[in-house]
Amino acid sequence: MAKAKERKTLRLDTSGMEELIRKMDKIGMDVKPLVEKALTEAGAKISNDTLAALSDQFLPAQGKYHGSRRETEESVIMYPQVTWEGSVAWIPVGFDFSKPGAGGYLISGTPKMQPDKELNRMYKGKRYMKGIQDDMYKVLEDAYADELLK
Amino acid sequence: MKQNLIDLLSGEFKTYPVILQGSLSPTEAYPESFFTIWNTETADWSHYDNGTVGFVWRFTVAFFSVDPTLVNTVLASARYLLIQHGWLVDGVGEDTPTDEISHTGRSLDVIYLERFQPIIN
Repeated sequence: MAKAKERKTLRLDTSGMEELIRKMDKIGMDVKPLVEKALTEAGAKISNDTLAALSDQFLPAQGKYHGSRRETEESVIMYPQVTWEGSVAWIPVGFDFSKPGAGGYLISGTPKMQPDKELNRMYKGKRYMKGIQDDMYKVLEDAYADELLK
Repeated sequence: MKQNLIDLLSGEFKTYPVILQGSLSPTEAYPESFFTIWNTETADWSHYDNGTVGFVWRFTVAFFSVDPTLVNTVLASARYLLIQHGWLVDGVGEDTPTDEISHTGRSLDVIYLERFQPIIN
């Protein structure tokens, strides 16, 4: 199967939360561990949901070609490290394309293979990731509200 | 909207088939150049008076060809065509996997915001 030499890692970041993070910083909250906690929890959910999406019921041909070595599962990014770029933090999510069996093609499909519907929904749709980001925002917002009430 | 998209692409690019992503059988040869589409998601977009008045349709449109130059130019033309007909296009596309080493492909994520009279839930 033809593959691009380099595949961009998908990422989950805190874009859109800068204002809240600035407010938290302004009242003296230690923002970094809270943001990293929110991202880490979100990353764990995405990892688990990605693994679940690799079960045979969602795979093309109901997993008929699902290898016993489970290379695709092993390429799912687990326990991602948080990286900061200025005031935006991010984690890699999805597949580690440096590993064999990375299933990027399962997200998009090919002309001869439909996408894995769950992976396609998660990574190409908007609702799933918006839900994840809403949950992250709520973690930070709740922490900010708790601090204000002190 | 799916048929609308197929008709739009087929009407403009008459020599390139438009098929559903994943619809070619494992033993079937790729056409020399062709489009695929896939409806990723359809969601309620707009509400009024307790009724749905709009859907957001998300599709991936891909073009594959034995000619890599055509992959770039035709997809760019498709992007322009869709924008002219009210579609929203996210970016300018990305490389996409193929089953055949003879072909390369690029895809676009496209959105249509469909409005209509209220449907009471």
